[in-house]
Amino acid sequence: MTRLSVTMSLRAAGLVTLLFLPVQACTDLTENPPSQITSSNFFRNEAEVLAGLAGVYAQLRSTAPEGSIYDANEISSDEMVVPTRGSDWFDNGQWIDLHNQTWTATSAATLNFFNGAWNSAYTGVARANLFLSAVQNASVPNKASIIAEARALRAFYYYILMDMFGGVPIVTTTDIALRPRNTRREVFDFIESELIAARDSGLPATRPASDNGRLTKGAADAILANMYINAGVFTKDGAKGGINATGYNSCQGITVAGGTDACQAAIAAADRILNSGNYSLADSFPKVFRYDNFSSPENIFVVKFIAADGLGLDINMAALHYCQYAPLSPWNGFAIMAAAYNTFDPADKRRRTILIGAQNDVLTGQPVTHRVSGSCPAYTPANALIFTDTIADIHSATEGEGPRIYKWPADPNHVQQNSGNDFAWFRLGEIYLIKAEAEFETGNAAQALTLINTLRNRTDAVAPPLAAVSRQVILNERLFELVGEEKRRQDLIRFGGFTSRTDAASGLAGGKVARGNDYVLMPIPQTQIDANPKLTQNPGY
Amino acid sequence: MMQRNRHVGLILAFLSFLAIPLAAQNGTIHGQVVDSITQQGLAGATVQLLFRTAGLTVQPGRQIVTDADGRFSLGDVVPGAVTVKATRIGYGPQQQEVNVTAGGTAEARFVLSPQASILEPVVVTGYGSQRREAITGSVATVEANTANVGVKTNADQLLQGRAAGVEVLQNNGEPGAGAQVLIRGGSSLSATNDPLYVIDGVPVNNVATEPQSIGVGGDPSLPRNPLNLINPGDIQSITVLKDASATAIYGSRASNGVILIETKRGNASSGPTFEYDGYVSTSSPLRRLDVLTGNEYRNFVQNSVASWRTDSTSFSSRHPGTDTIFTKHFADSAAAFNALAPSHLADLGSANTDWAAAITRSAVSHNHNLSFSGGTEATRYRASLNYANQQGVTLSSGLERIQGRLSATHSDLNNRLRMDVNVTTSRVNNTYLTYENNGGFEGGVFENVATFNPTLPVTVTDSTGTHFYEVGGTSIRNPVALASQITNIGQTTRTLANGSASFDLISGLTAKVTVGLDHSGGQRQEYYPQSNPVGVALGGGFARQADLENTTQTLQTQLNYQRQFGNNTVDVVGGYEYSKFRTSSLTAQGIGFFTDAFSFNNLGAATTRTTFSDAAESRLVSVFSRANVGFNDRFYVTGVLRYDGSSRFAVGHKWAAFPGVSGSWHLSQESFAKNLPFSDLKLRVGWGLQGNPSVDPYTSLITLAGSTDATYPWGDTPQGGVLATSNGNPNLKWEQTSQIDGAVDFAILNNRISGTVEYYHKNTKDLLLTVNVSEPALVSTQLTNIGSLSGHGLELSLDALAISRPNLTWRGGLVLAAERNKVVDLGGQAYISTGFVSGQGQSNQVSERLIPGYPVGTFYGPVFLGWDAQGHQIFQCSAATPGCVGGKTTTGSGPDQADYRVIGNANPDFTLGVHSEVTWNRFDLSFLVRAAVGQDVFNNTALVYSTKSDALQGKNFLRAALTDSTGIHEPAIFSSRWVENASFVRLQNITVGYDLNLPLLTRSARSARLYVSADNLILITGYSGLDPEVFTSNGLATRGLDYLTYPRPRTITGGLRLLF
Repeated sequence: MTRLSVTMSLRAAGLVTLLFLPVQACTDLTENPPSQITSSNFFRNEAEVLAGLAGVYAQLRSTAPEGSIYDANEISSDEMVVPTRGSDWFDNGQWIDLHNQTWTATSAATLNFFNGAWNSAYTGVARANLFLSAVQNASVPNKASIIAEARALRAFYYYILMDMFGGVPIVTTTDIALRPRNTRREVFDFIESELIAARDSGLPATRPASDNGRLTKGAADAILANMYINAGVFTKDGAKGGINATGYNSCQGITVAGGTDACQAAIAAADRILNSGNYSLADSFPKVFRYDNFSSPENIFVVKFIAADGLGLDINMAALHYCQYAPLSPWNGFAIMAAAYNTFDPADKRRRTILIGAQNDVLTGQPVTHRVSGSCPAYTPANALIFTDTIADIHSATEGEGPRIYKWPADPNHVQQNSGNDFAWFRLGEIYLIKAEAEFETGNAAQALTLINTLRNRTDAVAPPLAAVSRQVILNERLFELVGEEKRRQDLIRFGGFTSRTDAASGLAGGKVARGNDYVLMPIPQTQIDANPKLTQNPGY
Repeated sequence: MMQRNRHVGLILAFLSFLAIPLAAQNGTIHGQVVDSITQQGLAGATVQLLFRTAGLTVQPGRQIVTDADGRFSLGDVVPGAVTVKATRIGYGPQQQEVNVTAGGTAEARFVLSPQASILEPVVVTGYGSQRREAITGSVATVEANTANVGVKTNADQLLQGRAAGVEVLQNNGEPGAGAQVLIRGGSSLSATNDPLYVIDGVPVNNVATEPQSIGVGGDPSLPRNPLNLINPGDIQSITVLKDASATAIYGSRASNGVILIETKRGNASSGPTFEYDGYVSTSSPLRRLDVLTGNEYRNFVQNSVASWRTDSTSFSSRHPGTDTIFTKHFADSAAAFNALAPSHLADLGSANTDWAAAITRSAVSHNHNLSFSGGTEATRYRASLNYANQQGVTLSSGLERIQGRLSATHSDLNNRLRMDVNVTTSRVNNTYLTYENNGGFEGGVFENVATFNPTLPVTVTDSTGTHFYEVGGTSIRNPVALASQITNIGQTTRTLANGSASFDLISGLTAKVTVGLDHSGGQRQEYYPQSNPVGVALGGGFARQADLENTTQTLQTQLNYQRQFGNNTVDVVGGYEYSKFRTSSLTAQGIGFFTDAFSFNNLGAATTRTTFSDAAESRLVSVFSRANVGFNDRFYVTGVLRYDGSSRFAVGHKWAAFPGVSGSWHLSQESFAKNLPFSDLKLRVGWGLQGNPSVDPYTSLITLAGSTDATYPWGDTPQGGVLATSNGNPNLKWEQTSQIDGAVDFAILNNRISGTVEYYHKNTKDLLLTVNVSEPALVSTQLTNIGSLSGHGLELSLDALAISRPNLTWRGGLVLAAERNKVVDLGGQAYISTGFVSGQGQSNQVSERLIPGYPVGTFYGPVFLGWDAQGHQIFQCSAATPGCVGGKTTTGSGPDQADYRVIGNANPDFTLGVHSEVTWNRFDLSFLVRAAVGQDVFNNTALVYSTKSDALQGKNFLRAALTDSTGIHEPAIFSSRWVENASFVRLQNITVGYDLNLPLLTRSARSARLYVSADNLILITGYSGLDPEVFTSNGLATRGLDYLTYPRPRTITGGLRLLF
């Protein structure tokens, strides 16, 4: 028995060894994702670098129609409203909250639109930061130009944040950390210096057609020109920080890079574009917005869209009626305010970008109907779809109430709701108006009038020439030229009308009443303060 | 002597040169096991020989099962005083000492008393089994043959109402629907709350086996239950490990409890057995959406148009210019607010269609199990074949399963080597109805049942023949056409194979190696034809084929040492486990077909084709040990330690230790307890720490991926881009749950009534939560270990043998659980919004909040007070908010976010399961009643579809809206109005069976049973929706959301079980 036990023990020991042998072999827990890449093994050649750069560009789509940044810019202004239509478009009250400017740090509009805007713009910043840190070690041709491109894009994302929220944390590294806000002036200076650096050390003046849409010197100058004309607002932290919520905020007297006065800097930046020879006004206004507007000579900085799944513009879905874009069924939401529509001179051809009255299918031109049993029946005059100018009650609008923006006509080659119209953040038309405004502010009214009349008098003139210019004329001209292009909120704040405009002129019940001066800045969404307690709230919220 | 016992032909090389000591002489024990009441012999009782060696150790020896008369005979017994023990399910065990003489025959007679609970004396626990009396943790067992009958497609359903603290919520009434299984309320928010399933000792990766469908009008319906591969007829028993000390042996995967499924094995004692078990059932929906009939809708529209005042409409030309400008809207008078414009008369057709009836049906299901089993003492086998075909109660939904299973065990070397092989292969063919789990603007089948105009016909006949009626080109679609024309099917082939070899190294010491393979290949095939508006909207015919493959390989090695020293026992398990999980998918889709003839079978014919693929892999490595020591048959102590490493966590956080310790005191063994009324009394207490590893692979890394989102056109040519899909998290680690558990197991009246009262408290820390991060960040959220959650609860289970007479027995039992959970901390966040509301006009509306101090499933929203004269809804408000007068919102101003309150709790106060089984002569009757009291459900279906404003779009609505005061133009606004008490009592199952007197019918059959069974026969609830037990996934850790659920069926089953 003893011998047996010894043998058994030896065998047991051997078996135990065998049993636990795999322990040695199978403890490697390193992860190697088979279908994903990590930044450490990427950005090694030009194709990979360009793929990374495309990712930084792709975030631009979130700034264009119809994303939360667009909604925040348009619906909060006096250009557009999204009324509740029956049970449709109530959406937690967010649209009414946004339009009526009743937002707080935690209200529905803030949770969706402002929080979305904050995240969208900062995601662009983070992508640029990751790209810039990775590309340093890559050896690729045109590296300086590519780096300049990414820096200019990052500056633009900061421009969105600064415009909407004021001072925000400036971050150029890839780590996630809690950081306090910089002042709006610091953000302004940062964006300015980045754009100047990008313009002067890498960005080309023009791009070949195959690179249409990538940033140029002109893009940097256009953002700069816009910043300079807004310098009276953009360098001040809210109404308590010096923004005049009820009067004009001039660029005069604000010193920017190189010790220049902001109005002069705006003129200089506009002139660099106007005198570059690379841009000209399109012969007709509609060509600036059509599906083939990638070739518009007016484009300076656009968000590129093509008719492909997930890559197209879909603003028409948000605005058009269910029955006028067959076979698609649009969402019948966004409406132009009657007052904005009625401000236009009826002779102004630019008013035709707004649909009103009896409606047709936007592609076939056939007259269309309102819905019956959810369908779009055969047309008779009795069931004609008619867009009204006013909306009786924005809490319970009917299907046909409110005019609609139709500035970017449907792409005949659209893929589902994806149209190929590019969205111009900056085009030559606005540069004329920026220069005109800056000239007017520096006492050169005649030059301002010439510029505006030049804009009106393109080959296919949009409107008769004006005889005189004033701030009000400039503001109105910006509305006529730029309606729906995400400029109105910024313009109203600069001209001192953002918080005081009411819906009375549009005949809306339950609409906007005058709000406090502090509303010239959006609240920092509470969700962002929760995530980064070092963020302080804007005054008044 | 050594020579005689040396074996040749050994299977494992290292097992050579082994020697077994022999019994030198022999005696025999004859005897019978009888029922104490009937005095009839008890077949199938186990008689076990416990023998002593070295004068000290008693260890289990050979065992035998009694024959039909309860008789047994054990030969080759070592002479001397030996202990013999008889056990049988449902009876209390008995042991006695017998004197065996060399060559003599001893007699032993056992009189067993029936016990309240029908429980096996040996309990399957992690990595082995334990004697029930040695169990120190919280373990619930459900014997499959006593669990619910009726139509069951998977193992989860066997647990419903049977184990205290185990809540099984079937997502909906779809055949094979997935389930939310919550053991003790779950322990996580964003990570899974599913328990770990272990089938025949091998952990199963319980993930969806079929690719998801594309969603039509919302997210696709939830995946079906991955456990559908197991035929419930093959299940022997299910053991639920509930508390941390019992589950700690599974360490990182155990924080939600463990469900151990043991399948049936061959049995040598009763000889070769052939069994047929089959049923046919018919089902119909218990409730259907209660929408207006065609006539009701016509009346409603006509009356609403009649109250439209002519002054409501005004046309005027307001603009001074040349344009003709119209102002055409109604003034907001009360009449107009509750009226429809005359144009709506055009909505009315002449048909009277009951859409709910048109898409539902009486469904027929049948199920057939064939098995044979048998073998010798050394080699046993069981083979079974299952065919199940379950029709859904709506058109185009069903499940078909063909499943085969083989299990074989073999023992050799005088039972020192035991080998075990189990192979299950199943093919499940799923037919899916196109419906939405949650929805937005456009809908699937159920939304259109609710809204499709009932005055329109299902089909029309015109010059082109008879075809489905469609309103045309919009978001409203004929639900019957959706159900009939869209092809949406899936097939999964899954093989579960495991083999093990155990070898007794020395007395009491056993080594075991187990290898397991779980492979599933799932396919999803969809075609949305051009003939249907969905197919048109998707681009002129849309076809998709998706493949999903999951493979899990497992290797376990373990050593087990079991000894008995007098009245003391030692049971130690130690081992190593390695699992590798791999998943890969391939999807191909085509858009634009010139014919519907190809369906999904010719993607090459599509105008546009796209493919996607993906793969991920992860590994889990563990060493574990458990020691159970029993002192004097009174005190048992168990200690567990597991050390787990998972590839899914960040470097430096991949490994963690999970300990557990528990003890029990068998009070009834103590002399001072003899005078207490308890026939059995045991105290248990335990503590343990467990983990939850369910994060996706690579979550800790910053990963980049190419996608449409990253693509950007330069020069109108898309430039493929990459973007970071995750911020990574270099600190990502396990969620950890610690749990304490205290329990009393008791029995009175000679075990006629037995039960357990149990209390637990658990805390989860380092919750895996996806939280907003400080911007700038690559994505706005990050999976982070922050926050904590706690839960505690009381569980009671009772079993009683109420009547036990020769021809009449009545057993009954109840399980009751009260569970309270609470979010303790969210890493500093005040709350997390969740429970997104589905439906038109509900974007960004949320219905629930996770708030520290409140339970998971807390409804949060405005408080509904009533209506004003115009039919506007009025909500509670505070004076500070605009439009608030006297604490009530004024006309037109909706609720303000600042006035949102806690308006409900989705967790029941308690849940109850009551079961009863009566046997009278050849008849038996059993039932199961389940109840839950005090929980709220958000009736999202009613919010969106019992609103008259749907008529503005020519849509139907639920009948309840006809009688409420809401104006036609009032939008659907989420509020406390839609959060309803959803307490219920459900007669889950009732079965009547009859044992046929077979000798009269056939000579060969040993037994036969006929039964009739009804599932879901009675539901008593005040809840107005289809069913108070609902699950809609729409956000983080949502509970109690009800949106257009697949109706739950009422099923009548007739079955036959034959044993040859």
